Amino acid sequence: MRYRIAALAALVMGVWAGPALAQNPTGKVTVSTSFSKDVTDPFKKAFEKAFPGVTLEVQNRNTNAGVKYVEETRANNQTDLFWASAPDAFEVLKGKGLLQKYQPKATGIPEKIGAFPINDPDGFYFGFAASGYGIMWNERYAKANKLPEPKEWSDLAKPAYYDHVSIAAPSRSGTTHLTIETILQGEGWDKGWRTVKEMAGNFRQVTERSFGVPDAVNSGQVGFGIVIDFFAFSAQASGFPVKFVYPTVTTIVPANVAIIANAPNKAGAEAFIEFLLSPAGQEVLLEPSIRRLPINPAVYAKAPADYPNPFKDPSLGARVKFDVDVSEKRTAVIDALFDQLITFQLEGLKAATKAIHDAEAALAKKDNAQGRALVKEARDLIAVMPITEAQASSPEIAGAFTGGKEKGARQAELEQQWASFAKERYAQAKAKAEEALKLAR
Amino acid sequence: MALALLRREGVVAVGAGQAAAAAAIALFLLLFLITPVATVIYVAFTEKGSGAFTFVNFYDFARTDLFVRSFWNSVYVSAMAVVLASVFALPLATITTRFEFRGALLIQTLGFVPLIMPPFVGAVAMQLLFGRNGTVNLLLDDWFGLKIPFMEGLNGVVFVQAIHYFPFILVNLSASLRNIDRSMEEAAQNLGCSGFRLFRRVVFPLALPGYLAGASLVFVKVFDDLATPLLLNVKDMLAPQAYLRVTSIGIADPMGYVIATVLIAVSILAMWASAAAMRGKDYSTAQRGGGGLSQRRMRRWESALAYFVVFLILGLVLAPHLGLLLLSFATIWSYSPLPDGFTLAHYTRVFGESFVYIKNTVLYASLAGLIDVVLGTAIAYFVLRTKLVGREWLDWAASAALAVPGVVLGIGYLRTFYGVQLPGGQPLATLWIMIVIALAIRRLPYALRACYAALQQISVSLEEAAENLGATKARTVRRVVVPLMTGGILAGFISSFSTAAVELSATLMLVQSSSDAPLAYGLYIFMQSPAGRGPGAALGVIAVMLVAACAFLTHLVVERSQGAQGLSS
Amino acid sequence: MPEIVQNEPVRVRGDALQPLGVRVENVDLSYGANHVLKDVTLDVAPGEFFAFLGPSGCGKTTLLRLIAGFNQADRGRVLVGGEDVSRLPPWKRDVGMVFQSYALWPHMTVWRNVAFGLEERRLPRAQIKQRVAEALELVGLSHLADRRPSQLSGGQQQRVAVARTVAIRPKVLLLDEPLSNLDAKLRVQVRRELRDLQQRLGITTIFVTHDQEEANTICDRIAVMNEGKIQQVGTPLELYQRPANLFVASFLGAANILSGEVVGAGSDRAFRLGEVFLPIPPGATIPPGAKLVFRPQDVQITGKGSGAFSGTIVHREFLGAMTRYGVRVGGTEILIDAPFHAGDRLHEVGQEVAAMVAPEAMLWLAS
Repeated sequence: MRYRIAALAALVMGVWAGPALAQNPTGKVTVSTSFSKDVTDPFKKAFEKAFPGVTLEVQNRNTNAGVKYVEETRANNQTDLFWASAPDAFEVLKGKGLLQKYQPKATGIPEKIGAFPINDPDGFYFGFAASGYGIMWNERYAKANKLPEPKEWSDLAKPAYYDHVSIAAPSRSGTTHLTIETILQGEGWDKGWRTVKEMAGNFRQVTERSFGVPDAVNSGQVGFGIVIDFFAFSAQASGFPVKFVYPTVTTIVPANVAIIANAPNKAGAEAFIEFLLSPAGQEVLLEPSIRRLPINPAVYAKAPADYPNPFKDPSLGARVKFDVDVSEKRTAVIDALFDQLITFQLEGLKAATKAIHDAEAALAKKDNAQGRALVKEARDLIAVMPITEAQASSPEIAGAFTGGKEKGARQAELEQQWASFAKERYAQAKAKAEEALKLAR
Repeated sequence: MALALLRREGVVAVGAGQAAAAAAIALFLLLFLITPVATVIYVAFTEKGSGAFTFVNFYDFARTDLFVRSFWNSVYVSAMAVVLASVFALPLATITTRFEFRGALLIQTLGFVPLIMPPFVGAVAMQLLFGRNGTVNLLLDDWFGLKIPFMEGLNGVVFVQAIHYFPFILVNLSASLRNIDRSMEEAAQNLGCSGFRLFRRVVFPLALPGYLAGASLVFVKVFDDLATPLLLNVKDMLAPQAYLRVTSIGIADPMGYVIATVLIAVSILAMWASAAAMRGKDYSTAQRGGGGLSQRRMRRWESALAYFVVFLILGLVLAPHLGLLLLSFATIWSYSPLPDGFTLAHYTRVFGESFVYIKNTVLYASLAGLIDVVLGTAIAYFVLRTKLVGREWLDWAASAALAVPGVVLGIGYLRTFYGVQLPGGQPLATLWIMIVIALAIRRLPYALRACYAALQQISVSLEEAAENLGATKARTVRRVVVPLMTGGILAGFISSFSTAAVELSATLMLVQSSSDAPLAYGLYIFMQSPAGRGPGAALGVIAVMLVAACAFLTHLVVERSQGAQGLSS
Repeated sequence: MPEIVQNEPVRVRGDALQPLGVRVENVDLSYGANHVLKDVTLDVAPGEFFAFLGPSGCGKTTLLRLIAGFNQADRGRVLVGGEDVSRLPPWKRDVGMVFQSYALWPHMTVWRNVAFGLEERRLPRAQIKQRVAEALELVGLSHLADRRPSQLSGGQQQRVAVARTVAIRPKVLLLDEPLSNLDAKLRVQVRRELRDLQQRLGITTIFVTHDQEEANTICDRIAVMNEGKIQQVGTPLELYQRPANLFVASFLGAANILSGEVVGAGSDRAFRLGEVFLPIPPGATIPPGAKLVFRPQDVQITGKGSGAFSGTIVHREFLGAMTRYGVRVGGTEILIDAPFHAGDRLHEVGQEVAAMVAPEAMLWLAS
């Protein structure tokens, strides 16, 4: 009898032990990530220490290439996890059915950070760290060029910053896309674009990769950059003479992780997510080379004194109620607008902006009402948009970008229209500003 | 007339073995170049969304200002880059081959180094030296209150591209100059021609095939290069537009592929034009007097001038590498002429973490180089020496690889080979050998040009002599043609090897695990973070040293073997 | 000959003017340890067709290139028309050279090749046209002016090379083995053409060859060279008849060269070859250690008699006009040429014959 009970117990234990053993991860966990070595290495080390026998295979690709890779290899998927910043990349993967649902077991993580939900409501991807957008600058550069420290986006539109600002193209950088979207949602379509274009008039360059901006600021080729916070924090930690500020209109968004559909090592993938969300994993974020904001508020107790804490600091990202749905619908349109109106017309935009700055400087010395009116006209010409907010998410226009049935025109046609729209108006704005300058002489 | 007849007879009938070899090469190209590219390119001919066949995308291309502007910008930049690259290459090639010049071998090797510019980190180093707030401009601003926009706009691209690609002209032109018999020059001197006129009227025209080969390579490479314009933030050029379209707007958007198609078309046109210009300029050894190379001794002031010019050019073209070296030892380098301090820590970190990258790079690049010279020699032989049907197509196909953006090839590989499963369930595309093949395909045109030029210089009669003595075609190739082509083949190997060693765009799509990753990939990863800049530069320096050392060794081997054959005396 | 163009901008000199002589004085030249020219002194008379003859490696091409200015002497000087040109670069010497390989530029047409030197002299266009036409006419290639060198036969290429050189009307014409790349029949024809051309132009010409027949047939005088030294200078006949040393004797035509010793004294002197004694003509001066040299045709197969020796025929070559026999005499083989006339019978190999050397044909030469 005793034996029998023991056997039964063993059996029961065995039954219980079975799945437990099956969930004990082994082997290789493959993750496709856009994060740099500085971020992935500490996590790899900590994760492999926490789960002996598991190796984390890190494949580094930028977000777009990563999405494309997962898409192209779906027939015979070998990747377990997708790990990147921009939530919209995950939306794309989710939309194509390339992600797998999961319910994390970690506790102590709130629903939202600022106005942004931390996890995908449908359970396909999960935030593990937060980041905000802001302005980064090189102190030596600012000092040499006698430039003040900016606080708000609109500061970057001031004449002093002409030719000193850099940004990554939103079409190339998911994080910059969110910055632009945040400004548009925070200030409204027309006012938001006006702010963006006024800043853009001061752009030195529009880079094609996110890291191009902090790189240029770090080396002092450009003074100011619009970047995600951790670029600045980790540069500071490496000793570069750079500073960073969050403007009031910013949003704190989570960086995410998700399991790929048909992951070859599902147990390992789940273990990695649980590790990221555990206090041990969250503490890795505080490392100087990473410097991202943990999403577990308790972890901030271990952070250095001046570490920004979005759960404590109400000004951080709370002002904008970021609407993911709105953003999602018009992603491609915003990117194309930015490229056609700003990136590829930068020369014309800068020339007009310079003319306006000159006219305003002259008018400040010798006022002239007609001149003021002309400058205002010039500014309006720059700010005006070829399409309205409603059009931007309309099926006619969005369809041109997705190849949808309702498209009104081909994407290339729309782009050409927008480009010539901007080109003409920038030229007119320049002419008006020059006229104003003459009047002020 | 007799000579022409001789040539026609020299072109031999099709042998079964040749046909089989040509078919194998055709299959290889079909499998690893044409099919993958076609799977991507055909998008250019489809309507977005419906996927229906259409030409409307090309109509849109021609009507879009941005694309038209980009097209002409690309033409301008490529042409000017050829001009500037010639300005760098001509003096170096001439001084080192036509004169007794101490250190000619070293200069030839150093002149090759700019081609080995590791991605990303090279641009950072260039910015730190020549950028708006780089060393040169900070000092100029300090001293004279002015700045020179080396790296701004289209001319900035021309500057950087010329520095990067001029070795193509240097290598090809030097090879041609070395092949000019001294009697060609002496005859001109005897008739009263000397100095620069001699160079212009006799020496340069004779070296023209080599120069054209190099110049067309530079043109096409600059036309198709996307990394440099993008790193200089010049976007209104064709290749960057294609890349931006494909990678940001999406795989379903046809315009990126339309641009890629245009790129391929222009590149093929450029190659064709240079081939047409070279037609009938077969200055083979049949013309040679056996007098060998004439190297003039320079007078004291000439020598001083030559050293000055050589050092000036080398200083300019090697500046990026100097910057790279500084960066690899720098603690922080920001808005200052020189770094704040120096450290060895970056090298320590790199040696700790990245040995596997170095090992992989040597393995991949050598294998790719080897595949390239084998294919290159074979294709050159088929084109120049046989009457195989469609032999030009092999040539065109292989050369067209030059025009395929790496990212397109990478995507094509994933599309074509990911579905193919190996017995273990592993997809074919994930094997590291696929990286090697992709690299080989990407660099094949370099090796092919070099082999082609080398074979062109060999008189058919040398082969006929071997056949006459009882050697079969295959044995003639092995015992006579290949040994005589050694110089060209090795030049091809070096170009393929060293550029493959720093190739990134195609590899980025194909690298499956960091244990299989090559050095350029490691660099890319380092260069994504501020703390990785120093180690990235250190890895870049290691890459350059590695490739330069290999190139130098190969040079030495060539010199020695040719010396033994009495070819270089 | 075409009319002479007056007032040439470069050099007031045409083919009617006095040709110039060439003098090489005490020239030494070494490549490292390799002493290529050893104290060479030489005079080429104005208007002369002169040959440098010698085996390969004797320094003849080096000497020619020295005159053209492609080689620099370590010592000594070169004079053209009495003017020291040693310090002048090749392009200022006005010494036309035809290269062994012809060195026609493959990227230029025949016309352009020929016009090249005239263009370098900045002649007026019309004059260049005229002179190129003349030069091509001279070599009979006017109809091929638009061809490229690769489209020409070897003989045509050679003629283009000559035309290109004479077009500039050089002070001296240098020919570096110009016939070596032609087939035998063509060689005979071309060498005659060259001689004609030289006669018509009256230009001082130096011709490098290793072929004595070429030198003999077209040259006025020959310098025989060996191991960097001039062995002898003279007309073909002088060199043949009175070679200065054994090298010259053996290099020009076939010669029997026999080692032996002088025995006896006075009018009884004889030259002992093993068992055979050849009488030495009275009055002959024999330098110490000299060898006996005579030409095969100066030996006659005769009956036994005074001054005769006997031997066995070991081989026989029938050459048409004559028969060459190899006759073993003592330990050496002597060549004997016997003229052949209709009806003559040939001696057989193995046959014992007696032969006699004409005393006046005997030479005693030291090496």
